[in-house]
Amino acid sequence: MTRLDSLARVVRSKNAGPLTITLDVMFEDRADYDRALQSPGFSTEAIGKAYGIPASGVEIMPYPKALAIKVSMDRKIVAGDPGDRDVYGAQQHAPILALEI
Amino acid sequence: MSAIGKLLDQFKGVSKQALRAMGGSGQLGYGVPADAFAEGLRRKPHYIGCDMGSIDPGPAYLGSGELATAAETTKRDLKRVLLGARGADIPLLIGSAGCAGASQHLNATLALVREIAKEEGLRFRLASIRADMPRDFVKKQRAAGKITPLGGIIGELTDEEIDASSNLVGQMGTEAFVRALEKDVDVVIAGRACDTAIFAAIPSMLGFPLGPVMHMSKIIECASICCVPGGRDAIIAELEGASFVLESMNPQRRATPMSVAAHSLYEQSDPVRVAEPEGVLFVDSADYQAVDDRRCRVSGARWENARKPSVKIEGARRVGERAIMVCGSADPRFIANLDSILPQVQEVVRGLVCEPGEVPDYSLLFRRYGLDGVYPWPTPPAVNPREVFIMAEIIAPTEGRAMAVAKTTKQFLLHHGFPGRLSTGGNIAFPFTPPEISCGSAYRFNAYHVMEVDDLAPLFPIEVEEVGS
Repeated sequence: MTRLDSLARVVRSKNAGPLTITLDVMFEDRADYDRALQSPGFSTEAIGKAYGIPASGVEIMPYPKALAIKVSMDRKIVAGDPGDRDVYGAQQHAPILALEI
Repeated sequence: MSAIGKLLDQFKGVSKQALRAMGGSGQLGYGVPADAFAEGLRRKPHYIGCDMGSIDPGPAYLGSGELATAAETTKRDLKRVLLGARGADIPLLIGSAGCAGASQHLNATLALVREIAKEEGLRFRLASIRADMPRDFVKKQRAAGKITPLGGIIGELTDEEIDASSNLVGQMGTEAFVRALEKDVDVVIAGRACDTAIFAAIPSMLGFPLGPVMHMSKIIECASICCVPGGRDAIIAELEGASFVLESMNPQRRATPMSVAAHSLYEQSDPVRVAEPEGVLFVDSADYQAVDDRRCRVSGARWENARKPSVKIEGARRVGERAIMVCGSADPRFIANLDSILPQVQEVVRGLVCEPGEVPDYSLLFRRYGLDGVYPWPTPPAVNPREVFIMAEIIAPTEGRAMAVAKTTKQFLLHHGFPGRLSTGGNIAFPFTPPEISCGSAYRFNAYHVMEVDDLAPLFPIEVEEVGS
């Protein structure tokens, strides 16, 4: 088992519009990419658990051309609404750094 | 003859001529790197495009009508790109003026452009395109079921929200820029616009295939972000027909097949599908080949026209006036007891700024940096941090009310008693005084929807003026 932040080259988050958070996880080589993609530690269930949302709210999109996996989910609050903690959504990657792959 | 007129003449009847598009800036107004921009001009681009817009900075700019960027930097950047384009006599296209692209932002940007023209003795023909959505039309489309939320967490649009938006804009597509260029102009400055539209208008007028055109536009609107290392320097795409070649104008930045392919992930919820007003771009079929160490050739993206055009609409409404109070603590007992102290202080403040039984007309929120200010962690940290930064945020009907709550909060958080307290001199440290700061109006997005329409053109009207004459 390896933590995602040891395996991946990039783990980032950003808004894709004010209603959606999108995570990009990029890998150095095909083996690491395949390993993460096939791991139960990187399933919609595991990611949903990390964010406290149901697996059905997590969409995983493999993008082999860039050895990257995209994960999109609804924001819990519209960007910039009173009470939001991260208007750009650039710090919402933290909960998945410790996923065990 | 206008710059666009000359360009169209140059390509008339000539096939197999490559078109050089220069992405001057992906965020005009934050500073345009000078060396890369100058290098781009030396490559003799056929036109320059610059994006000024984004919805990322949040609802305040759309709501208030303020520029997201500083007027001074915005003017410096506009001057650089105007002098560059007018010096070479090539079209300059700018999208999403002032970031949010409502009329106030467009007006402020146009005023800077006229000021620069006067100071520099420039004369040119300018088209401006407005992007404010007519409220009655939006209501009509709503009633006809033509408006859909762009995500699960924003509800159906209502007439009340349509009226309450302080600004309501729509993202224009390529057709609006084409209509502006058809007015025989040198410079186009648009309100809220799709970033692709800025770059796609000229090649689509010249008959280049839309798949590669839209794909190229999607990449170069971000300047050199598609490179390793990514950056804000100007980029040139040479559009050959079915393919295009990317090169950053900063020699340190390399456009590699991997870096360019990865760019389609950026700020997109789907890496292979990009929806635009006039259709959808699919990049899953795209191919990326290295030309050399720094250049990448891209081909193979597909474009499908939409059955009906649609417009992404964005609205923001005022929710009150915001004030904050900033402080920090290094007291371990205070930090350990924050979960109980902060709700107690909220209650104490309520009792002091409201009459008994009165329902508070404000919200008071504590943000606890070091614990969970950035992310709402489900469990507390294993070890408490040595220091915590606390920001109280108040939203109230008036500035006076918000500041009143902020000041009482400051005083009673400072002196709040709790079991085991040692630091009876005060619980918190202020970095400066006053630690209460009025932040102006607070806004929230109240529209982020897609609106189907029969005809895009009437929504994005164009005005033409002779600047400097």
